[in-house]
Amino acid sequence: MNQLGNTRIAFIESMAEIVEKDPKAVLVCADSVLVVKGKPFAEKYPEKFFDVGIAEQNAVACAAGMAACGLVPFVATYAGFITMRACEQVRTFVAYPGLNVKLVGANGGISAGEREGVTHQFFEDIGIMRTIPGITVVVPADHNQVHQATKAIHKVEGPVYMRIGSGRDPVVDSDIPFELGKVRILKEDGGDIAILANGFVINRALEAADNLKTEGINAVVADVHTLKPLDEKGIIEILKKTGAAVTVEDHNIIGGLGSAITEFSAEKMPCPVVRIGLRDVYPRSGLPEPLLDYYKMSVTDIVEAAKRAIKTKK
Amino acid sequence: MSEIERQLEDIARLVRIDVVTMIHKAGDGHPGPALSATDLITALYFHIMNIDPKNPGWEDRDRFILSKGHACPALYAALARKGYFPRSELVGLRSLESFLQGHPDMNKIPGIDSTSGSLGNGVGIGLGMTLAGRYLGRDYFTYVITGDGEIEEGIVWESAMSAKKYKAGKLIVFVDNNGIQSGGPVEKVSGLNPILPKWEAFGWHCQEIDGHNFAGILKAVENAKENTDQPSLILAHTIKGQGVPFMIGDNSWHKRVPTKEQYEEAMRVLGGEIS
Repeated sequence: MNQLGNTRIAFIESMAEIVEKDPKAVLVCADSVLVVKGKPFAEKYPEKFFDVGIAEQNAVACAAGMAACGLVPFVATYAGFITMRACEQVRTFVAYPGLNVKLVGANGGISAGEREGVTHQFFEDIGIMRTIPGITVVVPADHNQVHQATKAIHKVEGPVYMRIGSGRDPVVDSDIPFELGKVRILKEDGGDIAILANGFVINRALEAADNLKTEGINAVVADVHTLKPLDEKGIIEILKKTGAAVTVEDHNIIGGLGSAITEFSAEKMPCPVVRIGLRDVYPRSGLPEPLLDYYKMSVTDIVEAAKRAIKTKK
Repeated sequence: MSEIERQLEDIARLVRIDVVTMIHKAGDGHPGPALSATDLITALYFHIMNIDPKNPGWEDRDRFILSKGHACPALYAALARKGYFPRSELVGLRSLESFLQGHPDMNKIPGIDSTSGSLGNGVGIGLGMTLAGRYLGRDYFTYVITGDGEIEEGIVWESAMSAKKYKAGKLIVFVDNNGIQSGGPVEKVSGLNPILPKWEAFGWHCQEIDGHNFAGILKAVENAKENTDQPSLILAHTIKGQGVPFMIGDNSWHKRVPTKEQYEEAMRVLGGEIS
């Protein structure tokens, strides 16, 4: 059983630290104050809290206007409402002018949307953001990482999209700090296979590596939390060692980590890569862990994918 | 007519000359919508706004968003006349070599406060600018010109709603009500009318003017500025193609390039030199 943390609280606590130091940082919500556990923030910093109502396009447009006049707005609401409903505002008015707006999307992945069903399970956000030029894209592993990632993205001069979860987000047992644009090597048993993972399914990757080890297959497990810019050097080093990889993400297998790694490796370091993720279908409602198992993101699926990848190595 | 009105009339005529010339020379652009907004843009840049062409990034300057970004030939012409960049650049409009993009780009073009061109977004961006100004203790006003067809976009009404909540008194929005959008008359395409009661219902301070009468434009902005706790909407009745008779009443001029003969005819009417 996973220990759980709360990435939403981690975000809002970090936000409070940020506004204490940076008078230009503000929070913009679209009736999402409860989503991001923002009541204490709104009460403590009423002048730094803007709620435009259930109107995400307007939230992003407003944030663009604020950033154009020197503020550093963080827009926080559900991942899909930022990346899909307000997609064009993100693309044309934040990313194209390169404005300093941070976009924070909750319920990233089917496990974070869990019982709400498809309307609140967001598994396309990363793919959509990745195709827009000029946005830094970050998928932190757990609440500890969100703490660090929030502060790291604040330091980026320009647009960033960061995923957070449901507030019941598995804790990854690791003290390796978050460094934007650098993979975190979480486990290095050997060079048989790389398991490249991100988000709230990393523990599954780690467990799969343990299981593989009992069968004499030694894996490297890395947290690829920054999708743009991708840590090309770090990934090449891993793939050089393993010559095969499995990607593990709570996202459609199209557009996310699996795509980023296969696109990159096809050009720079061709090797077998098997993708674990939602296989381009709409999920059902359910509890997070059984949902992930049902949609082929189980530990067993990762183990089998690793063996398949190894088998196809030259 | 006052001296200032006479001056503005003449500047608007020069801007119209540049609009038609640049679209003719560049071989692309939207003359009709640019000409309907020309007098509003002229009033803003040559009388109303507190700006400094030598310092386009001045933090206390008034902001302007041409939400109907396709009317940008009029804005580019005004910026050039104002001294943000040489007038000789205007003919480069929409070409690969020029910084004058097909729609306004805040990073490439000096004097542009906001990227625009995808319709409906100017009011929300303007609201963000207004809120930032208030937060930072700056005294500037934010002006937006939106088309009438443009306000069919849903985001406009999201922004209208929250501008009221935030009592955005320093946000002044003109609707360039020329009555005709790309596909035909606004009412026929969308059923948008009546426009003013909608903004009134959203809690805005509303005025209705002739968008080609400078005395009316200036007076409306004065009124809007005095109203400090409501955002302001100025419904400006305009004529698509205003100033160039053969474009009026012919919506093919929404986006069309004047031939040599048409360009010369426009120059004769506007008193422009044929170049």
